[in-house]
Amino acid sequence: MSTEGKNWKCAKCDKQLVLKNTNFFYLGHKFTYDVYNCPQCGKVLIPRELAEGRMAELEEALEDK
Amino acid sequence: MKLEDATRYTAKCFNGEPASCSYACPFHLDIRSFLEKVSKGRWVPAYKVLRNAVNFPVLVSVLCDEPCRKHCQRTLLGDEALAMRDLEAACIKYAKNTKPELFAIPPKSERVAVIGAGVAGLACALNLAQKKYSVTVFEKESGWGGYLPNGENLSSHPRFADFDRDFALQFSAVDVEFRYGVEIKALEELAEFDAIYVATGKNGNSFGLLDSWDAELLTTSENKVFMGGTLCGVSKMEGIAQGIRASKIIEAFLQTGKASLMNVFVYDKKNCERYLKHDGAVSVPRVIVSSPEGYTEEEAKKEAARCLLCDCDYCIASCEMLQKFRKKPQKIAVEVATDMQVVGTLASRALTRQTYSCNICGHCKSVCPEDVDIGALLQFSRTARKNAGGESYPAAFHDFWLREMDFAVTEGFLAAAPQGKKTCEYAFFPGCQLGAFNPDYVLKSYEFLRSKYDCGILLNCCGAPAYWAGDESLLNENREKIWQAWNEMGQPTLVFACATCESIFNMFLPEIKRVSLYALLAEEEGLSPIRTYDEAVVFDPCNARNNHGLETGVRKLATKAGITLHELKEPNRCCGYGGHIRLANPSLYEEITQHRAEASDKPYIVYCVNCQDVFARRDKECSHILDLVFDLKKGLKVPTLEQKRANSLEVKKILMKKECGIDFEPETHEWDGLELLISDEIQKDMENKLISAADLKEAIWQAESSGYKFYNESEDLFMCSMIKPVITYWVQYRKTAPQTYEIVSAYCHRIHFKEEVKP
Ligand code: SF4
Ligand code: SF4
Ligand SMILES: [Zn+2]
Repeated sequence: MSTEGKNWKCAKCDKQLVLKNTNFFYLGHKFTYDVYNCPQCGKVLIPRELAEGRMAELEEALEDK
Repeated sequence: MKLEDATRYTAKCFNGEPASCSYACPFHLDIRSFLEKVSKGRWVPAYKVLRNAVNFPVLVSVLCDEPCRKHCQRTLLGDEALAMRDLEAACIKYAKNTKPELFAIPPKSERVAVIGAGVAGLACALNLAQKKYSVTVFEKESGWGGYLPNGENLSSHPRFADFDRDFALQFSAVDVEFRYGVEIKALEELAEFDAIYVATGKNGNSFGLLDSWDAELLTTSENKVFMGGTLCGVSKMEGIAQGIRASKIIEAFLQTGKASLMNVFVYDKKNCERYLKHDGAVSVPRVIVSSPEGYTEEEAKKEAARCLLCDCDYCIASCEMLQKFRKKPQKIAVEVATDMQVVGTLASRALTRQTYSCNICGHCKSVCPEDVDIGALLQFSRTARKNAGGESYPAAFHDFWLREMDFAVTEGFLAAAPQGKKTCEYAFFPGCQLGAFNPDYVLKSYEFLRSKYDCGILLNCCGAPAYWAGDESLLNENREKIWQAWNEMGQPTLVFACATCESIFNMFLPEIKRVSLYALLAEEEGLSPIRTYDEAVVFDPCNARNNHGLETGVRKLATKAGITLHELKEPNRCCGYGGHIRLANPSLYEEITQHRAEASDKPYIVYCVNCQDVFARRDKECSHILDLVFDLKKGLKVPTLEQKRANSLEVKKILMKKECGIDFEPETHEWDGLELLISDEIQKDMENKLISAADLKEAIWQAESSGYKFYNESEDLFMCSMIKPVITYWVQYRKTAPQTYEIVSAYCHRIHFKEEVKP
């Protein structure tokens, strides 16, 4: 899919993105997840599928906790 | 927060409590539960309920004068009350197993004397013996039962054989010593006993203690001597009930050395008058007993099924939110309190979603027989949560509206008396959304007000977003701001176009005199509103509840237009907008807005611009009353979030020029000049997610100027993010011309990530 992280590269650094374990936090909870990242400048990319899928589910779960 | 701070909101809720009939019953028999079991032919469980409440079911089913029937809510429908005694008799007859339960408790050493083997004494003796106290009953006659109200011995009653058999049955599982033919002349004779219950019957020996008798604790001036029954002037049935009560008080006395009600469930008799409305319940006549033997099984079941099982759930039954969460009002209150005792992020707050899913619409209060307002309780919870703050506060639920409010009270603000004046008698307070939806709503209304009254303008947000977010300090700040502007304008009467603004002012600025725009318009002879529909329904907003001037004003205008008006079955239901629940509970929001849109197939006439927004989005045919008054309904589309802000600024610009002669220069941003190409489909999706095109412009501008963006070669697409404190926005776009971008996708999330960007 076009929105998948691997199809993107960092336009600033002209680098292919790589999966990297990244820290996430919400409502005082912390967790890590592998997402695409620019290996040079460190910019993180969250594809729509992730934002509106797993992340949205997690948001809801944490809000209900 | 103390538990009572929350539970006081629902203290009067009686959901789950006994019905009115049970309060009238001397034994407080759970009649609802009894009849429900009888109606299903569950004779043994029904019998147990009866037996445990009355001790001697046979006698009671014959001699009770049924005070419950006077408080049977069936009678409100014009029906005869449930035939309680006949049903009790049927239950006793059809219950196959009436053997008393054996109580596996070790025997206790304390000894209790009961003077009198009438039913009052027997009831007390039976219960204490069940608790394994050592009980001795003294009776001067030769057998049990006592007297009938006419003074004759119970044994003269034609059914005595049955009563006798029942007494024997009930005492068959306990050890009680009966000493017949023994008359106690002085209490000293019973010195060896730890407690004494005097139940010697009407005109019986009270050992000189009657004057000191306490009707509540059944105590006398003698420490261990208790008294009750017809001796104390109560009826025979009440005597039995009192005997049961005495057993509990005596037990407390034996356990603690002090008589108390600790084992007694205290009933407020007044509750026998607490009735429900029973809208929609159908009348069903009493089932006639077909033979002298009493009801057949089928007849009894049918009669019992007439019970309305009166238990209030009015609020839950009629509020989508309460129905979704299925929690009883009292439970919600307890959770409001316990949630606030939770600290840290590991423990969970059980009520968060529900707290922010309430429309704070007052509907529950309007249907509650006791005026319980669950919305007020959840509003209280919102405020408590905001005050507690901390990392676990779900800021994302209200962030969007708080940003809109911030805009309205800063850039959108205007306070001006009519040109050339410093003060005025009236000032129009249209609220932040009216002009945002359609500038003409404000401009035309103001033109009208200005031509008729000494009227200025006050553009600001009333503070509803802060209120619904539970943000007291923000609400106060805004209150101060309005207060100051209002004073500077010479304390004008404010003219409102929004019922929510009015109710917020009513709560937080009650000193300010208020009048509704629609009431003023309705008074105006010269107006001829346009007939947008032949027939319509006025959709009254929740905040107009009890605001009769407003409701009648709007109807007058619509009628003047020649529209035939119909009324909704349930007035003042919240359209869904109230409480800003949309982000906290999108599916509930959808459900509610759909229900409201479908409440009538006629078009709606609304007078709250938020209702209008909700219905327009659902393609429900509707007009604002101002469309009729000023002939403004010309296929106006719901403006986008970005347009709304622009509309608000437009209104301010025009009015500022008019009254102050100043050219208003709105704040400018580097990204203002960008042009976005957004398809209808994406626009709709953005509106649903409350993503404004202005945010996308900002994000794109940042990405384009800093270079931090992603590129997808095969699709020739760019993507970038904009991280705001509460929400992170993402946009995918294509550059189609200088300063022009085609939006391919826009979305957002609330979870934050840690990004260490190196230059
Ligand atoms: S309407 Fe609701 S809050 Fe009021 S008494 Fe009934 S169940 Fe309780
Ligand atoms: S205020 Fe409205 S939404 Fe909230 S519980 Fe009451 S009826 Fe339901
Ligand atoms: Zn990079």
